Amino acid sequence: MFKYSQAEKIKYLLSLISFSFIFVTALPNTYLLQIADTNKVQPKDTLSRQLSDSVIYKKENFSSEELIRGERLFYGLVYLGDKSINCEACHNTHVSDTLNWNPDALEISRKYLDKNAYYLSKVLLKPLGTKMKQVHKGFQLTVQDIVLIKAYMNKFVGIGLKKNKPIITNLLLLIIASFLFLLSSVDIVIRKVYKSQRINWAILTVMGIVITWILAVNAISFGRAKGYSPAQPIKFSHAVHAGQNKTDCNYCHYTARSSKTAGIPPASICLNCHFLVRNGTRSGATEIAKVLKAYDDKKPVEWVRIYKLPDFVFFSHEQHVSAGEITCDACHGNVKEMNRLYQVPDLSMGWCINCHKTRKVNLSNEYYKTYYSDYYESFKAGKIDSVVIAGIGGRDCGKCHY
Amino acid sequence: MKKYWKDIKSKKSQEKISDIKKVSDENVFFGFLGDEEKITHASRRDFLKLCGFSFAVSALASCQSKISKAVPYVIAPVEMTPGMPLYYSSSYINGNDYCSIIVKTRDGRPIKIEGNPGSGITMGGTSARVQASVLDLYDSGRFHGPMKDGKPSEWESIDKEIIGKLQDIVEEKGRIVLLTPTVFSPSTEAVIAGFLRKFKGSEWVQYDAISYSAMLEANKISFGKQVIPDFRFDKADLVVSFGADFLGTWLSPVEYTKQFSSGRNPEHEMTRLIQLESNLTITGSNADKRIQIKPSQEPSILLNIYKEIVKVLENRNFNTPACPVDVSEISKNLISFKGKSIVISGSKVKEVQLLVNEINRLLGNIGQTILFNSFLRTHAALDSQMKMLIEKMQRGMVNALLVWNVNPAYTWYNRDAFTGGLKKVGLTISLSGSPDETNTLFQFICPDHHYLESWNDAEAKREHFSLMQPTINHIFDTRQMADTLLKWTGSTISFYDFIKDYWADNLMSRQSEFTDPVMFFDRTLQKGIFEPASSKGLSVEKLPKTDSLAFNPAAFKTGDNSGKKSIEIVFYETVAIGEGRQANNPWLQELPDPVTKICWDNYASISPLLAKEYNLNDNDVIKLEEVELPVHIQAGQAYGTIGIALGYGRLKCGKAGENIGTDVWPMLLSENGNIVHTVKLDHIVKTGKTYTFAQTQTHHSMEGRAFVREADLSEFRNNQAAGNELHAYNLEHNKSLYKERTYPHHHWGMAIDLSKCTGCANCVIACQAENNVPVVGKEEVHRVHEMHWLRIDRYYTGDEDDPEVVFQPVLCQHCQNAPCENVCPVAATNHSSEGLNQMIYNRCFGTRYCNNNCPYKVRRFNWFNYSAAGTLTGNLRDKEGMTENLRRMVLNPDVTIRAQGVIEKCSFCVQRIQAAKLKAKYENRALMENEIQTACSQSCPANAIVFGDMNDLKSELNRLINSGRRYNLLEELFTMPSVNYLTRIKNKIV
Repeated sequence: MFKYSQAEKIKYLLSLISFSFIFVTALPNTYLLQIADTNKVQPKDTLSRQLSDSVIYKKENFSSEELIRGERLFYGLVYLGDKSINCEACHNTHVSDTLNWNPDALEISRKYLDKNAYYLSKVLLKPLGTKMKQVHKGFQLTVQDIVLIKAYMNKFVGIGLKKNKPIITNLLLLIIASFLFLLSSVDIVIRKVYKSQRINWAILTVMGIVITWILAVNAISFGRAKGYSPAQPIKFSHAVHAGQNKTDCNYCHYTARSSKTAGIPPASICLNCHFLVRNGTRSGATEIAKVLKAYDDKKPVEWVRIYKLPDFVFFSHEQHVSAGEITCDACHGNVKEMNRLYQVPDLSMGWCINCHKTRKVNLSNEYYKTYYSDYYESFKAGKIDSVVIAGIGGRDCGKCHY
Repeated sequence: MKKYWKDIKSKKSQEKISDIKKVSDENVFFGFLGDEEKITHASRRDFLKLCGFSFAVSALASCQSKISKAVPYVIAPVEMTPGMPLYYSSSYINGNDYCSIIVKTRDGRPIKIEGNPGSGITMGGTSARVQASVLDLYDSGRFHGPMKDGKPSEWESIDKEIIGKLQDIVEEKGRIVLLTPTVFSPSTEAVIAGFLRKFKGSEWVQYDAISYSAMLEANKISFGKQVIPDFRFDKADLVVSFGADFLGTWLSPVEYTKQFSSGRNPEHEMTRLIQLESNLTITGSNADKRIQIKPSQEPSILLNIYKEIVKVLENRNFNTPACPVDVSEISKNLISFKGKSIVISGSKVKEVQLLVNEINRLLGNIGQTILFNSFLRTHAALDSQMKMLIEKMQRGMVNALLVWNVNPAYTWYNRDAFTGGLKKVGLTISLSGSPDETNTLFQFICPDHHYLESWNDAEAKREHFSLMQPTINHIFDTRQMADTLLKWTGSTISFYDFIKDYWADNLMSRQSEFTDPVMFFDRTLQKGIFEPASSKGLSVEKLPKTDSLAFNPAAFKTGDNSGKKSIEIVFYETVAIGEGRQANNPWLQELPDPVTKICWDNYASISPLLAKEYNLNDNDVIKLEEVELPVHIQAGQAYGTIGIALGYGRLKCGKAGENIGTDVWPMLLSENGNIVHTVKLDHIVKTGKTYTFAQTQTHHSMEGRAFVREADLSEFRNNQAAGNELHAYNLEHNKSLYKERTYPHHHWGMAIDLSKCTGCANCVIACQAENNVPVVGKEEVHRVHEMHWLRIDRYYTGDEDDPEVVFQPVLCQHCQNAPCENVCPVAATNHSSEGLNQMIYNRCFGTRYCNNNCPYKVRRFNWFNYSAAGTLTGNLRDKEGMTENLRRMVLNPDVTIRAQGVIEKCSFCVQRIQAAKLKAKYENRALMENEIQTACSQSCPANAIVFGDMNDLKSELNRLINSGRRYNLLEELFTMPSVNYLTRIKNKIV
């Protein structure tokens, strides 16, 4: 494994002995004193303060070997006792496009950046939350190792989570196709390699189609964000709230019925429930604590916007939800099953118009009875079975663009 | 049919179309005459570089869309729904201007002002200045916080220091003077009274830059009441006005326009207006008879009218000097409309006003059309008081001067006396909210809120109370003037509480509806107004005591007309800029003057005859005393007079307004204690220099074709289609190749009654505010690039030396056979199922074919990036700072901000149509009457614009459309516009 210098070995041994001594004597006291939010509350008794102030936890300079060991510990590559502990299995180090309930490495490192490793050791070795108790059970980490894990995680604060490399199949394909296209063109002009020009023409045709197809597909999807699913500052799950707990969409997005915008709920709305509900079954206290903190600090949560129309489109939720009586899932998909929200339609004009061409108007509204009386009478007389939105001017440009 | 001409040049060269003004070559690109901006030459290389760069930028920009955040409230305010507007009733007070208003706010930002229809004074009307006042709120040129000796300071320390200094002055028995404009807020008056009590030996002086002190003094002598009476133009059948521009700027123009237009119904009754004036004003333009006079002739004309009236009514006779104009007709009219007429004069000479009072008294108008029990409180300052103050200052008798909202270092005729006296004042404190020529000389700046950030009340007319409430938290570290005074007085309560207490103590008892003062205040606040007068029948007039000895015709001096000085300058205020308070408002600066159609400047208007005499042309620069001014040859300007607008040439007011036009305040004179707005001159000096105006009208030449149809009332009474005979002919002969389209469900339309429209330009600014119309600046206006969606065309008819004037608001006509739609290659402009001509900006790529094919020239092209909405850099044209983040707060989020390279035009306020339709659907009902109002129709003070659904047979719109007066602009082209005009009917003296 790793090689340590003699001096280091002695240093670690000594610290290990002293730590285990203090640990054994201090254990009962500290355990009793622990409160729900271990990270906020300073240890009260002198002994644990001594502990948190202890030199071991305050170590700041690390050699590269130490940092590598920290990293290996984090990725579960160090065999410790009877089982290996893999932090990365639960705490992401990559940007993820699916919801991971557990805080990622960046979040943890941010949380413990200004605190010494004592606090981290407490969460690792004697966790309080139900979930953490289960998964952190039986951890056999030494204080030194915890210090090193923290040291490794600190690097995320500077650089952020690792990003997944983009898949470049399309681009590669485009380059290859263009290259072949160019070769054939050159060959046609100079006429040297192939005797039969048919091959060249065939290549030109096929590659032309491929290039056009790639360009067209990509150009159409330019600026559109179907499937866009960014990570949010709080791991809020619509599946839990709207799905399992059956909260009505309009409870949180309470302006959808009466305003242009559906509205992102203010923190005070969250507090209606989370004033009491402080522990999630899966996320524990971490995520809920964020909204509580936002409320206490009077600092709004900065959500990443997913559904966004260009400035020259005027869309009104009131028009669609209240007047048009359409359900939320017609546009937003089955939000009740989404842990992490993503954009379901591509929000293209074609998508809007398709709906306007097929959806029926409720002609029994007094407004339509008055101004579209001709349609209403025919409808009542059974001459027509319905009128679609396009029939009442739903395809006029100026209804949405002004 | 009459021949119409648009300006003198075109009258002369109507046959030669080739004479259309050519802009000289050097002006075409990148430069402007007389401007210091360097002419830059763009080479082909630069062009290619720019192309390459912009392509790269746009390509890169489109690759990755920006991550946008959605930031909700932490705790949402109860009354607010994000994305929906909230309305507050309030009052507009700016110096002497008053209007009862409703403020539209979106997400906490006031973005639009509407008139409060409940008000008994302004009755839902506004003026261009009121409409534009919302932009003043977002002016980064305002003071950002308290200052001491030009350096930013803190309120706490500044308060302590000032209170200490004021108390020292009181102990030393010194004099503290508070200088304000006329204050007509009862609560503010009470606060000032408290301040005067606390600091013994202090004085309060009111000073109005454009004062009516001659009138006040005359009324004191004639009627024993030093007030401006309540003129009731709605009750008058005849108005004779001597240079009083009561439809434009005189006293309370919004109120008077409402009243006057209510009496301009050809179908029912028609008020007659006779205007005798030197400058061609809006009122003169709307007069049934306009007589050009020199100001010096006014006394003798009045005296002759007086003589005629006395002869008939009292059977007396006396000798008068010869009258320069024939007054027999006017006198005959006045006598026949006895008790139902109004004689007014804009003169600033006390004797003239005394004579006017005497005529009104003789005619029995007092108590009928001129009421003294509900007098106007907005103008009460006397010039003599200001004069006395300055004398005291010069003698070192003033130890502290507190100034609020007046700017004597700019507006006082003898400004050196003021600034000289100021040096002898120990303590100078300014309470004004924005920098001006006066307070830059001051030690302490304690800035006031903007009125949209303030609490206040007002009693503009006696027993007509209204409240002002904040619609936004104060943007800068400012404090309301009344709060500052309260603080210095040692009071612990806020001005808001003070107002509430004042209303509970003093006004609560005037009503019986509410017994709870909180309820009373809150409900009044909601309505914005409190008018116990209407409920208590105050209109029963007790005639004021009149002193018939007050006027002695024998002693009346008609002035010396024979003197050497033959040229008279008549100073006036423009509709937009007034005395210069809102000079830093780009909307107002870019608003073309209703008559001259020049914006961003003032000038010397001279009559064509005088110009010929002195061999002057348009744009020549002349020298009058010490002041150099460009010449504008104005048809209808009285011969021998020069009209010059005050309020220009501001030196300190903010980015957009400084050094615009020429400052002429120092040319004013004081006569018998009152400042007069006329000055006599020997001659005009031609300097040989030239100057270029930004004038909008010459670009809208209709080349001699008549669009405004006119008739006289007598003709109209016999034939409803008088003057509009062409309409029937066109209806019969127009044929189209296209299949006629029908709009069975909604068909939006508009009617504009040219009999009512006064050309006041309120609608232009209302449209600009509602529809995010950009400001382009003087150069761009000169290059025919102005962007107003609604313009008011002005045509002259008749003799060029004595023309009649007609106004015609022109906006997109929403033609059913629209010529613009056929030529758009990308269908960016097309017709909606509700009869609207739609303009889709995101589809437009700027061929301007539509602009070329529009016979009404109502389409506007974004030549540059005026709004900062474009993505490409380098094309921003914004000298006026309209794209600063603060200024952009005024933008309406319901209307797209147009980028460079697209055409835009009037949309019939489609955002309002959509919102009202949605509300009806939501509430499961049909639309209510007049529920949909466009920005221009809603606040029109003359009720000249009516919007509605042409399919709604019961609507006001349909009544107008079915009238014999209805016609369409250029109807011979068969474009079938949705905008209808109604023939202009004049009530001429037959």
